[in-house]
Amino acid sequence: MITTPHSVKEYRGQLKKALENEFLGTTLDNFATAYKTSRAKAFEGIDLEGLIQEIAAGKDASIPCLEELFALFKVRAEAAGVTVHAAHTATEANEIISSIARANGVRKIVKGKSMTAEETFLNTHLEKAGYQITETDLGEWIIQLRHEGPSHMVMPAIHLSRKQVAELFTRVTGEHQDPDDIDGMVKVARRELRQAYLEADMGITGANFAIAETGTLGLVTNEGNGRLVTTLPRVHVALVGFDKLICDLKSALRILRALPRNATGQAISTYVTWITGANECAPGPDGRKEMHVVFLDNGRLALAKDPVFSQTLRCIRCGACANVCPIYKLVGGHNYGHVYIGAIGLILTYFYHGRENARAIIKNCLNCQACKSVCPTGIDLPHLIKEVYRAVLEVEGKKPVKNVLLSRVLKDRRLFHFLLRRARLAQKPLAGGGDLIRHLPLFFSKEHRFRSLPVVAKNPLRDIWEHINPRLPKPRYRVALFGGCLVDFVYPEQAEALLKLTREHDVQLEYPMQQTCCGLPAKMMGENETAREVAVQNLKAIDPANYDWVLTLCASCGSHMKENYAKLLADEADLPVKVQQLRDKIIDFSSFMQNVLKVAPEKFVESHKKVAYHSPCHLCRGLHVTKEPRDLMKTAGLDYVPAKDEEVCCGFGGSFSIDFPELSAELLKRKLDNVEATGAGVLVTDCPGCVLQLRGGMDKRAAGKVKVKHIADVVAENLKR
Amino acid sequence: MPKQDLKEMMKEKAQAVQSVVSEVGSIEEAFRYAIDITRKQGGTVLAAPGLGRQDASAFAAFRALCEQNGVALVKESLRAEIGKLHTGFTVADYGIAETATIVQESSCEDLRIATMLSEIHVAVLPAARIKPNAMALENELKGEMKSAPSYLAFISGASRTADIERELTIGVHGPQELHILILDGDQA
Repeated sequence: MITTPHSVKEYRGQLKKALENEFLGTTLDNFATAYKTSRAKAFEGIDLEGLIQEIAAGKDASIPCLEELFALFKVRAEAAGVTVHAAHTATEANEIISSIARANGVRKIVKGKSMTAEETFLNTHLEKAGYQITETDLGEWIIQLRHEGPSHMVMPAIHLSRKQVAELFTRVTGEHQDPDDIDGMVKVARRELRQAYLEADMGITGANFAIAETGTLGLVTNEGNGRLVTTLPRVHVALVGFDKLICDLKSALRILRALPRNATGQAISTYVTWITGANECAPGPDGRKEMHVVFLDNGRLALAKDPVFSQTLRCIRCGACANVCPIYKLVGGHNYGHVYIGAIGLILTYFYHGRENARAIIKNCLNCQACKSVCPTGIDLPHLIKEVYRAVLEVEGKKPVKNVLLSRVLKDRRLFHFLLRRARLAQKPLAGGGDLIRHLPLFFSKEHRFRSLPVVAKNPLRDIWEHINPRLPKPRYRVALFGGCLVDFVYPEQAEALLKLTREHDVQLEYPMQQTCCGLPAKMMGENETAREVAVQNLKAIDPANYDWVLTLCASCGSHMKENYAKLLADEADLPVKVQQLRDKIIDFSSFMQNVLKVAPEKFVESHKKVAYHSPCHLCRGLHVTKEPRDLMKTAGLDYVPAKDEEVCCGFGGSFSIDFPELSAELLKRKLDNVEATGAGVLVTDCPGCVLQLRGGMDKRAAGKVKVKHIADVVAENLKR
Repeated sequence: MPKQDLKEMMKEKAQAVQSVVSEVGSIEEAFRYAIDITRKQGGTVLAAPGLGRQDASAFAAFRALCEQNGVALVKESLRAEIGKLHTGFTVADYGIAETATIVQESSCEDLRIATMLSEIHVAVLPAARIKPNAMALENELKGEMKSAPSYLAFISGASRTADIERELTIGVHGPQELHILILDGDQA
């Protein structure tokens, strides 16, 4: 039976244990690395963006009319000898299936892999009803024998070592199994399960597609068990979510082009089976299969009508959102979902398995956008995770104190900035005259001591702006700087570095003083109303029409303003044009240098300093900027050396690092290990949030520290005098 | 895309899924291939259900050849033969070059058993029936689906799993080898 913690405290305890599991950590890390390569190879020569859009459009055309598609499927399939059922709840689906078994005098059942059956806990139900049920997918069989749920939607037993499987098989067969003979263990399954197929009266499968126009089920498998389950027993029942209904074969073939490639990096799964109607089956009544299709609602039809969440029904269960998730990689699927795991699992848990099961896990998201960047149906997973989090908070009506404080403070810019200035006074005794706090006060628990924290600047950027930013007589461009809280109050020197470069290139920077926090922290905490209010304040402070560009040194601010303002301000009648103008003018530092100013290498000293790079999530996936910073480092005379997992999150994630310090610390450790392995003396990045995390972590390390710098800093340093 | 290019693509993509692709000049050559490999692997029973259904004279020739070589040839009531079948011999309806897939209309239960429960699967693929990708087969597939009941199988390689420590292992449930014999010429 699957249990998922209902409180963050309990959940953190579970996560800590998972972090100690070395096998899991290594396996999932190797998998993530291999997956990245094989996926890229599988999509070579395919217009992936185009394909994603087509798939999304096909799914979006089906989702509003699932009930009509069901009716059509039913007509077509029943004309071909199939009985089609609709189940409103998980229990109803299980009961329909056990009554089919009863009516047909079934005793033994073989089963193909089906996440939908996991969702309804079908096996438990059937076993209670007295049926003997055998999973036939190797991974599913293994976890069935261990009485566990799947830890991955495609590879259900990925959390287990060969040693654990060998011990299990030794117990099951009564014969010693050699853990290093995987082929031999697979043959054990072949032998044992062959017998199960032959003895079974009924086969149960899920389906990847239910094609309405022909009443066809599509099944995608590698092992071939799906074919045997649908062929040998005299009864076949398919349990299928309503969301698997699609209009036509064309939509199915389009999805099939992406599904195996995105799931396992295969061009195609070994067996793709299209079943239409009750086929020939020697032991069946009149030599035909007794065939049933049970469509499961369990909340899907309500989801289909929701303007925000309907897109979750696009999911084709490829599992990629787990494969690339830095948190999944650390703790595995049993700690990252309920039945459904990965990013989509966090969301679906709320809808299919209830608020209590979703409450703790839904907070465990870095918003690093890795899942979104590989979703083959274009689901905005990080956004929906936050929306579920918000819904849970609203429904439960028990907001954390930090939410209440943050909302109260952020909405009032003057109060917010006043408090930031006061924070410096509070921090002063802790910093011992330096710019880092190495010993956190006692109200931080020891888990938070993995990084030093920066001190608030003596003079915030806004206070010194007029002194450091002279007017230029005839500037080429007029550019607004959006500072963001960290540059304004913690790292004003990053803006000073920028000024040195813009002055050299005849660009007039301006700092609209009414600007405030971009609002991303509020959105991360599910406080959309606050996020909306500060978005309006920023739009009033910065009129994009007055500037050629709106430049930001913070990728998180930039991508939030570009991506989320339109969503947050959709109902503001006066603002859409301004939102769009802002969107068009926002630019990150490196793109501005490389693409707008086209800075020349002649301007820089060729220092050939060896530098490593950390690519901020909100730069590479939020703003889709990957080439420019790497080119810019070269332009500026630096020797950039690539590091492993440059585009994997550093573990900051704003308030994430406060909620889940153990995970944040582990992600940071891996990041810094990878950086140190390059031998570079400086780590460059282009987001002050990442600077905070990386510098704080590096400071806690032993001698030979790598310096952490914002890219504006290192580029300005190399400018010829 | 010219036929030659499709054949080449089929061969190239087959390597990724460990299928063995050869070209044969005649159906008799395919028979001999199947018999040779059966004998070489120590098999004694060859199942050719689809063939019997389509072409009685070809089947008679095959049977004679099998008899000469001491291999039993079966074509129907294959449930009774489960556990004895070494080679499933079939003629594919289509090929998909992009993924080295063979497509088989398998509503005949014996055809399914031969391709699922034999140790190896030898499939003859007429060269003229190779399409560049699945989309190019949409109308043909839809036609089959509309004449239900139908059981359409895309087969791309041998049965595989990576469920234990992600190590690719061949032959978990279905055949452990897939041999595709591209048959060129008018015999197809």
